Amino acid sequence: MSGERFVIPIGPQHPALKEPSHFEIFVDGEQVTGATLRLGYVHRGIEKGAEQRTWTQNLYLMERICGICSHVHALAFAQGVEALAGVQAPPRARAIRQVIAELERLHSHLLWLGVAAHEAGFDALFMYSWRDREVVMDLLELVSGNRVNYSANLLGGVKFDITAEQKVRILDGLNFIEERVHYYLGVVNTDETFLGRTRGVGLLSREEAERLGAVGPTARASGVTRDVRVDAPYAAYSEFPVKMVVSQQGDLQARFVVRLDECFESIRVIREILNNMPESELVVRMPRRIPAGEVVSRVEAPRGELFYFIVSGGGDKPERVKVRTPSLANWGTVLATAPGHKLADIPMLVAGIDPCFSCNDR
Amino acid sequence: MNQEGTQDALLKQALDVIRPWVKEEHNPQPNRLDVVIGREDLLAVVEALKNARWGYLSAITGLDRPSTPPPESVENQEGTIEVLYHFCEKDKVLTLRVSVPYNDASLPSICNILPSATLFERELSEMFGISIIGTPDPSRLLLPDSWPSGVYPLRKSFSGFSEVTEAQK
Amino acid sequence: MTLSLHPLVILLIFPGGLFLILAGLAYEYVDRKLVARFQNRIGPRWFQPLADLVKLLSKEEIVPQGVQRGLFYLLPLFALASALTAALYVPMVGLKPAYTFQGDLIVTIYLLSVLTLSMGLAGASTVDRFALVGATRTLTQLFSYEAPFMLALLGPAIAAQSWQIGNINEFAGQNLWMLVAQPIGFLVALVGLMGKLELPPFDAPEAETEIVAGALTEYSGRGLALFRLGKDIELVIGLTLVAAFYLGGLHSPFDFILKTLGLLLAVALMQTLFARLRIDQVVGLWWRIGTILAVIQLIAIIAGRYLGTLIF
Repeated sequence: MSGERFVIPIGPQHPALKEPSHFEIFVDGEQVTGATLRLGYVHRGIEKGAEQRTWTQNLYLMERICGICSHVHALAFAQGVEALAGVQAPPRARAIRQVIAELERLHSHLLWLGVAAHEAGFDALFMYSWRDREVVMDLLELVSGNRVNYSANLLGGVKFDITAEQKVRILDGLNFIEERVHYYLGVVNTDETFLGRTRGVGLLSREEAERLGAVGPTARASGVTRDVRVDAPYAAYSEFPVKMVVSQQGDLQARFVVRLDECFESIRVIREILNNMPESELVVRMPRRIPAGEVVSRVEAPRGELFYFIVSGGGDKPERVKVRTPSLANWGTVLATAPGHKLADIPMLVAGIDPCFSCNDR
Repeated sequence: MNQEGTQDALLKQALDVIRPWVKEEHNPQPNRLDVVIGREDLLAVVEALKNARWGYLSAITGLDRPSTPPPESVENQEGTIEVLYHFCEKDKVLTLRVSVPYNDASLPSICNILPSATLFERELSEMFGISIIGTPDPSRLLLPDSWPSGVYPLRKSFSGFSEVTEAQK
Repeated sequence: MTLSLHPLVILLIFPGGLFLILAGLAYEYVDRKLVARFQNRIGPRWFQPLADLVKLLSKEEIVPQGVQRGLFYLLPLFALASALTAALYVPMVGLKPAYTFQGDLIVTIYLLSVLTLSMGLAGASTVDRFALVGATRTLTQLFSYEAPFMLALLGPAIAAQSWQIGNINEFAGQNLWMLVAQPIGFLVALVGLMGKLELPPFDAPEAETEIVAGALTEYSGRGLALFRLGKDIELVIGLTLVAAFYLGGLHSPFDFILKTLGLLLAVALMQTLFARLRIDQVVGLWWRIGTILAVIQLIAIIAGRYLGTLIF
């Protein structure tokens, strides 16, 4: 079988993929020689649909681009529209937005930990991390009424408040999660079989990461200091900043470590906000017709930088809403690092960038 | 304040790098700089930005600007498509604006300079009908294989299939 | 204990055939339940493996295009037949082996390998990419653990001075447990058993997240049911062998249940502890560490016997 070019199709239906997409992996035995990608299996035409809905309807539409990072989509959209209207959300609303965003980051990273462990064949870690993720889901349900699609944002503020009793429950839950994330960090750094699957795999140097336009934890694991929360603070990040978590290692293990360390930062900043919550109203009035203009709105989703470009023609519907999701920017890194690896590493490589196909396809 | 000083400094730095090709410039918000360039200068500008290590390509947006608003004429032959290349550095966003007319909708590919642009270019070409010359992978990204060719969903003239097929009859 | 039954009864009902199938299903249940509890899940109910078997047998068997039809239908039968036959030579349920002859240890190991080979061939005879990669991995893994596993089973054979499983079983019952006398051999045998059964961490040949189901991807309905049954029976036989050799022999049904379930507990624990090893890591592990350990153990046994004859 030497020298024979063999194509292994992965997807659209495949146990490794949680959402449909199509990869063609060219292999020679177990060695990968190339990879191509085809997206679009969950393309719903959301950008076009946004042009036919009012601003408020679009808020609900944007939330549904993705289930795991729905809050940041709505947040980016709401911020953009507020900027066009020249309105700033009140301090308490911005703080609550940040709390929900960081809780979402926690649940997303725990979900990702389980999925990546499952790709490595480490089902025990998968089951444990998802069990612990239930604590975060319960907290989000406590605050918003939903486990997914929290619908926290309104154009001009937030929909609900965080009461004192909820605050106590959240802080308790965070204590538990912090302990568990310490444990998982230990597992990721010391388990021999797991290290065998992650150390040295998917090595992405800093220059490569910059050249390929990587964003989010994928880039930060290769030493690229890009984090929208630090570079261009939004919501309440200027009052309650986060530290950027960067690693110089550049391989798959570094991506695990970066995401788990980010969980600690999220927990810390949520505690800080809850203990110092500013007092104000929850929402300000927004006009129905948004003045004409163009605005760029960037937020840091759990997967990386989320880029919104909104054009208003002065009416009650947007002219154009462009969404560039972080997974789309990170695909280049997978396609570039795949050759030279073994077939068994491909699911791990793909999982390493935390792909979200619903986000990609919109 | 010192912060505002450095803010403007970053944008000014970018502007200096690409000044020879700038046709117009706008500052719609303090952290944004919009620059209009000609299609023929696109590669040179992107190259200059890359060499100066200013920013990374964040997105490529297409804006459809038909000269007569639909649905008066579905088969709209007049109009331009404005393509925006967004580069982000820290909190600054530099946008390069290139316009192409409908009847000559083509752009050179920047993939030789920035390989990460391939997915963005694929989406741009299938949604707006702009042919990107020299792009390494011209296949469809999001639209299904059975999508009729010549139909570009994000153009204003497209408003659903039933109308398109009716008009084509 | 011996049981004198008509050969046909032995073959079809007890301790082969029907009883063996039910035992296989029972052991599969225990394995799945243990692994689930270790992972903080609830796990299946006791009749789940039986329900799975019945369901699979009742489903339509889809024969994919491009496959060799004869092989496609025959290979599951070979797999099941070899597993059932191997049971005749091991002390099932603590009773003396139904049939015994000189060298039946080798025959039993060979029969167990026929099962793995059938699966590899089944994967290789289709045009499905995943099955081909899975078949390659199955056979690669077979080449890796087969030698150390055999060497580990050889240790007790040398100590008992016999190639007959019945005699080795007797010897193990009368002397110090080999678990204590040959600990390295025990370790290699236990881990080798996991490799043979393609249990995690050695489940690269059927890595669900990489190659769907490996060599068996194209199988459905009856063929899949027979393959799975063969694997379950292999589990029972493998546990019986290792328990008979290393845990002081199996001499009564109670003995049998206690020792094999104890081994199964250890196996289930090891399944949950590790991530899946890549196929090249499996090969590296076995050819470097596994073989060396087994050889060391053999040398220790031979040297021990030699010194023993010198001293006494």
